[in-house]
Amino acid sequence: MTQIATGYQSPRVLPGFEHINRYWDKRMNLAAAKIMPGEFYVSLHGEMIVTVLGSCVSACIRDRVHGIGGMNHFMLPMQGEHSSAQWGSSTVSSASRYGNWAMEFLINEILKAGGEKKNLEVKVFGGGNILSNMTNIGKRNIEFVKGYLANENLEVVAADVGDLYPRKVLYFPDTGAVKIRKMRQMRNDTVMQREKAYIEDINKKPKSGDVELF
Amino acid sequence: MARILAVDDSASMRQMVSFTLKGAGHDVIEASDGKEALGKAKGTQVDLVLSDVNMPVMDGLTLVKELRALPNYKFIPILMLTTESTGDKKMEGKQAGATGWLVKPFNPDQLLATIKKVLG
Repeated sequence: MTQIATGYQSPRVLPGFEHINRYWDKRMNLAAAKIMPGEFYVSLHGEMIVTVLGSCVSACIRDRVHGIGGMNHFMLPMQGEHSSAQWGSSTVSSASRYGNWAMEFLINEILKAGGEKKNLEVKVFGGGNILSNMTNIGKRNIEFVKGYLANENLEVVAADVGDLYPRKVLYFPDTGAVKIRKMRQMRNDTVMQREKAYIEDINKKPKSGDVELF
Repeated sequence: MARILAVDDSASMRQMVSFTLKGAGHDVIEASDGKEALGKAKGTQVDLVLSDVNMPVMDGLTLVKELRALPNYKFIPILMLTTESTGDKKMEGKQAGATGWLVKPFNPDQLLATIKKVLG
């Protein structure tokens, strides 16, 4: 347990996730980690993972035996001729590579923390049609995740995807429970602005890993 | 063109890598973990190994050590293609005997250029 500035005893954070916003959620009486578009979080125990999804999708994945689990939050980049992400059409598009990385990164971090692939349980959320000038973006993200999981032989045990509204998702990796609130009325456009900034960022600077020769 | 052993436990990643390598004219042999890769490498001589790090059964770094112990794989280029990006992990790869380290998501042109470079 780690004592942090707000005074609560937070569960130990795994290496690589120190930058994630973690706090004590008074309403749920539980430690929480809130992830933004493009972020990931994996928890060993005693935490909930929170995010708000518009057109983005989140896979909530956990080892159902050990209770180790995490969440990602991403969407696919849109880059003209290379934007296709359908399996079997253009399997090396930048969209496919980015989506593949977003899924694999989460799964690898869960396995590194002690999870086992044979125990993985997957739930999928998001992909709402909320960005007015990008009508297919949510659908495209949903299709990618479903295709990826089928290809990896990972069964989806629950999903709440599509529709017109953003979703607030609370995920409890200890038990696999999920609480979802569809935000039919929003006080501001923060969710849309965050997603727009995120997609502009990944479109402008396609994520590509570095290369080092020894 | 080279005969390349592509090792990854993710079927999606194997598809993308194979598609890229075959598109450039390479001959690709696939394996889904280090143990399967080691068996295939012993059965057929390959010119280059491109391997993931985190895999069940036998991980990529163990595979590198096992391959380097074989006389005919002592000097064959072995590139790691992984989500791991920390300096510590790269150092482990270097010490195990890897030739280079590529962080996912890969750029197809960059991957092919790196392969060309290490094949000489």
